[in-house]
Amino acid sequence: MLAYVIRRLAYGFVTVLGVLLLLFVLFFLYATPVEMARRAVGEKAPPEVLQQWVANHGYDKPRLWNAESPSDTLLFEHFRRMLTFDFGRSDADDTPIVDHLRQRVGPSLVLTIPLFVIGLGVSISASLFVAYFRETYIDRTGVVLAVLGMSISILLYIIGGQYLIGKLLRWFPISGFDPAPAMIARFMALPLLIGLFSGLGESVRFYRTVFIEETSRDYVRTARAKGCGDGRIMARHVLRNAMIPILTRVVVAIPFLFIGSLLLESFFGIPGLGSMTVDAIHGNDFAVLRVMVFIGALFFILGQIATDVSYTLADPRVRLE
Amino acid sequence: MELHVVQNLMILLLVAGALGALRAARRSDLWRKAGRELLRRRPVALGIVGLFVAFALLESISWIGGAGAEGGDQLALHEPRSVIDRLFPADFKERSYSAPFAGAEFYGGAALRYPGRHVLGTDILGRDVLHLTLKGARVALLIGGLTSLIAIPLALLLGISAGYYGGRIDDAVFFVISVLASIPSLLLLIALIMALGRGPVQVCVAMGVTSWVGLSRMVRGETFKLRELDYVQAARALGVSEFRIIRRHILPNLMHLVVITFVLMFSGLVLSEAILAWLGIGIDGSWGQMIDQARDELSRDPIIWWNLAAASAALFGLILAVNFLGDAVRDILDPRTTWETR
Amino acid sequence: MSPRRASAAGAAAALLSLAACSNNPYPPADDTLKVRYSALPGPPKTLDPAVSYSALEHKITANVYETLLEYDYLKRPYTLMPGLARSLPEPRSLGGGRVAYRFELREGLLFQDDEAFALGGAGRTTREVEAADVAFELMRIADPQVTSPVGSTFAKIEGFRDFSARLEELRRQEEGFADLRIDRQYERAGGIAGLRVRGPHQLELVLSEPYPQLLYWFAMPFTAPVPWEAVAYYDGQEGRDFFKDHPVGVGPFKITEYEKHFRIVLERNDNWYGIQHPEWRAPGAIYPSEGTPEDAAAGLLDPSYRGRPLPFLDRIEYRIEKETIPYFNKFLQGYYDASGIIRESFDVVIHEGDLSPEMAALGMRLEKAVDPDVHYLGFNMNDPVVGTPAGEKGRKLRQAMSLAVDVQEYKRIFTNGRGVPAQSPIPPGIFGYDPDYVNPFSQLDLERGRELLSEAGYEGGIDPTTGKPLHLTFDLGDPSTRARLTYAFFVNAWRQLGLDVVLAATTYNQFRDKVNRGAYQIFSWGWIADYPDPENFLFLLWGPMAESESGGPNTANFNDPRYNELFLAMKDRENDARRLEIIRELLGILEQERPWIELLHRESYSLIQPWLRNVKPAGLSLPASKYQDVDAGRRAALRARWNDPVVWPAYALGVAAVALVVPGILTFLRERQ
Repeated sequence: MLAYVIRRLAYGFVTVLGVLLLLFVLFFLYATPVEMARRAVGEKAPPEVLQQWVANHGYDKPRLWNAESPSDTLLFEHFRRMLTFDFGRSDADDTPIVDHLRQRVGPSLVLTIPLFVIGLGVSISASLFVAYFRETYIDRTGVVLAVLGMSISILLYIIGGQYLIGKLLRWFPISGFDPAPAMIARFMALPLLIGLFSGLGESVRFYRTVFIEETSRDYVRTARAKGCGDGRIMARHVLRNAMIPILTRVVVAIPFLFIGSLLLESFFGIPGLGSMTVDAIHGNDFAVLRVMVFIGALFFILGQIATDVSYTLADPRVRLE
Repeated sequence: MELHVVQNLMILLLVAGALGALRAARRSDLWRKAGRELLRRRPVALGIVGLFVAFALLESISWIGGAGAEGGDQLALHEPRSVIDRLFPADFKERSYSAPFAGAEFYGGAALRYPGRHVLGTDILGRDVLHLTLKGARVALLIGGLTSLIAIPLALLLGISAGYYGGRIDDAVFFVISVLASIPSLLLLIALIMALGRGPVQVCVAMGVTSWVGLSRMVRGETFKLRELDYVQAARALGVSEFRIIRRHILPNLMHLVVITFVLMFSGLVLSEAILAWLGIGIDGSWGQMIDQARDELSRDPIIWWNLAAASAALFGLILAVNFLGDAVRDILDPRTTWETR
Repeated sequence: MSPRRASAAGAAAALLSLAACSNNPYPPADDTLKVRYSALPGPPKTLDPAVSYSALEHKITANVYETLLEYDYLKRPYTLMPGLARSLPEPRSLGGGRVAYRFELREGLLFQDDEAFALGGAGRTTREVEAADVAFELMRIADPQVTSPVGSTFAKIEGFRDFSARLEELRRQEEGFADLRIDRQYERAGGIAGLRVRGPHQLELVLSEPYPQLLYWFAMPFTAPVPWEAVAYYDGQEGRDFFKDHPVGVGPFKITEYEKHFRIVLERNDNWYGIQHPEWRAPGAIYPSEGTPEDAAAGLLDPSYRGRPLPFLDRIEYRIEKETIPYFNKFLQGYYDASGIIRESFDVVIHEGDLSPEMAALGMRLEKAVDPDVHYLGFNMNDPVVGTPAGEKGRKLRQAMSLAVDVQEYKRIFTNGRGVPAQSPIPPGIFGYDPDYVNPFSQLDLERGRELLSEAGYEGGIDPTTGKPLHLTFDLGDPSTRARLTYAFFVNAWRQLGLDVVLAATTYNQFRDKVNRGAYQIFSWGWIADYPDPENFLFLLWGPMAESESGGPNTANFNDPRYNELFLAMKDRENDARRLEIIRELLGILEQERPWIELLHRESYSLIQPWLRNVKPAGLSLPASKYQDVDAGRRAALRARWNDPVVWPAYALGVAAVALVVPGILTFLRERQ
């Protein structure tokens, strides 16, 4: 077992190295430092200031190979920084990226965790409900609504939601953020509602398929033959047996909570990691973008390892490959 | 050669290829049945998708000449114009906003050049919204189509070679797959486009790179299974060349995966282009871009709704039809597996 | 779940939703305070006064870092008055072109309270402002590590560059020098020769050449006194902030909360001299009693304010609002005190050049002001087709393209008719602007344009070498949808001449890269005045400032010998008749040569809520907040009136859902039995 975990971790590490290599190719063999400098210091800055900036950020090193000291290259620096979680400074405002991450992960989680938990609860109960009434018009309407819902671009959900609920109905602030406990709920209400709705169609459709597949199995028929009520079967047996596909989906989604939501955070002015990423895209802050891609990949890989390991613990039928 | 000529030739090739594929499919019993079943279950969705494809094709064929420039647009004489463009008058423009079927400008109320003829109104530059919306069909199909043309062969090539040969090749392919799969796809997409630059081809290449992974993983697994089947083993023992085995026994048994993935992937791609458009790195003329342009117009008063409505309706219509189609295709070709979409 | 727990959870949820269901973004307790609510379009990058060079950041720093000189709040054209200095210094010629200025600081000025001052003695929380603090800030501008963007301006101070070089040398050569405290480093480097601190309150500056515009720079935060303690203390180590995020100044307000990604809070600084010494009646600390007749009409000379000691506000809160639409909607709901008018909402708000009846009924006011800026399309004059190498042919092409641009129409569509069509680079309010001057090439004249084009050899826009329409590129550093839509306007205009201009919209970086390599033809740019002097605009076309020569802001690479010569003659002159004459001649050259197609001097409209007093629009960054006042009671009442939620759709939705589902359940159950 231990050997398996170690092997899995080792492979995960190699994958991380692969991600870093890809990032290096994309961001160092392509972008030129002087332009990043101009963006950062300002349009009116003279050339010597730009050179100074490039030097301050260490972007003036050779890219791949330095005959004098092999470790003094951008390639080496890139790997060293990422792997030691040092990350360096933002290209746009010179602040250590670690500080940015620390400041901005909170607001992201304030949005994504409730969104995730409530979303899971609502979509599972909605799909149980629909699956329970399968083959009736409730089921059919549910499926059509789900497909309709997932055919609408998230941009439209946000634009429409802000316009309707924020501007016309005046239920909640149109956008904004305030972490004070008394204020946070009213700022989160609208993005939560919109995030919930935009994801509902797709997940209801998925879970419904899972449940319906489960209800067509033998044990359900047996239980029904023994006289178990439908509701009881749904809640007790079907839900429990559908746990594996649900869990797979859920565990894979958890790492993404930390990255935040690009669109929701930007539109609602939530200062989380998602809006930080969007700012980095608009401001050509490649340093931040690199780190976000890296962190996203890292969390994903760790999540995968955790899933695999927990499977082998939970289900003896899963082979150790 | 002129760009538009190359484009026309490419479209012809594409149509010829599609027809060839259809003919080949008709010869197989399985595919013929599947096609008939699809037509029976989802005639409307098929029709809508067909309509969009037709618009896209018409927009893709263009040539120079024809109508002259009436409104003083000298350049129009020298520019290739597509069939769709030719459905409208050569200078079908106003000065700025006008409402659907309006006879006068939206602000100020000056007389229009074409009163009552802009079915969906005009945008801020006075361009006919119906015209723009129809042109957008080409971009949507391009996103789905070109990306698939990049992603599917790549996925098949790598997936089959990994699954069939195993060993080092499998290790290498699996490594690439796990690296790409571990990066959140939107972030990877953004990073790629920022590196490759803006432009329709770049966006499609980036989308191709991010979307071949899922299919490839499936192809690899399926090939593993197929390789162990008796008749493949027998063919091998008889000394049939590997290329022939792959072509005759493996590839045809993977086609249902390809078709299902293609249909399911399509809507996701077009929807993610809308997000890219919002980030300013999408493709010009896409519906996503139109939505992004129009989102601010909601706060005009009186409200400008036709831009947003036209682009959203077109996007929604296509995606909805494709989604319904995807469900049906999946049920018909592979009813056993639970497919995860997007 | 037990019934009790369930009811508790239900109650909690109900409470939460009750707390959530209000659209007021501020805590109710703040309703009664004099808080000024503002928005910023993005987080400030830096509040270091030596570095910060954007209007956005100056909004904040102007309140925190008070300067030696200030602009009069009401007078136009802009007039300097003493701030922290006792008087405006007079230039004193030292011969050989050298000029000296002597600033005299007020005595008894205190910095805001800050823990950094403990560096100068345990338990200290503030100290007196001295001339050395101004010198320190100027040395920071010279310090290469600070990367100040205005170094070249202050390089006119004698010994400025030498100081930079010595500092850099010492840091490189001497072991441990870079770890010395920052003020010791400057001391060791020997200071700037032309900067003499004469006693605690006197500072003398010696310039190597005449530069009358220098005084304007002393009304900008670049030259505000900065305590060395703050720079040394806030180094980002051990949990301390960076200095750029933790300003310590002498202004009427100080920063008390700096969550730069969503909220910045400034509160009244009780150490400010206006509060400590109202008896001084210093010009920068009392409300002005003189102004123009328009000011009187706008209520800016209300007797209840005239001569009263500043400031009036308790607090200023900035929220980050990146998207303009939510910002404007919140303004309409009463949650911001003032707002610009975005293109989209223009027609709601403005009716025939004035406030719409609806807005006027809400009690709002409209302030208009032409900004001291210029927006233009530029040609790369090094380009073989559109530039100087094409000679007469290129000039005629540029003239023709200039004639095809209908600025009035552009204004109508994209700025809702706001702005003054620019005839030259010099905007209204700046010396040399002539309201009667009409540039013959800034008018729409397609006929003449086509003529010029065929004279240039491009008959009907056809390039004779290819037999096809002349292909030009418009390089854009903004790939956003909105920018493309805007610039498509010009492309369409040039199409009418038969020219095939293609928009090459790239990211800003890629655009800059093209500019660096000289690989661009047509571009679009704007310039906002640093100070109210024509030199600040005309130098944008001065040869030595060319992008290709020196990386300067002359992106058009315009390099005309006669222009260069005249510019030198103009730049250091006082505003006299001769200067005006030279400026006329300079503009004449630009008129014919057309390195730029001038578009607009922007005009900003701001909407002011009825409870906000004493707002005077200004194109330059002025410390305006200290003059402004808020009527909190009126604001609370209006907000309550404007924000009644509409709740019936929630009930309707609930009823509809029940109506849809219940019959299904009933039939289902019936069939099961």
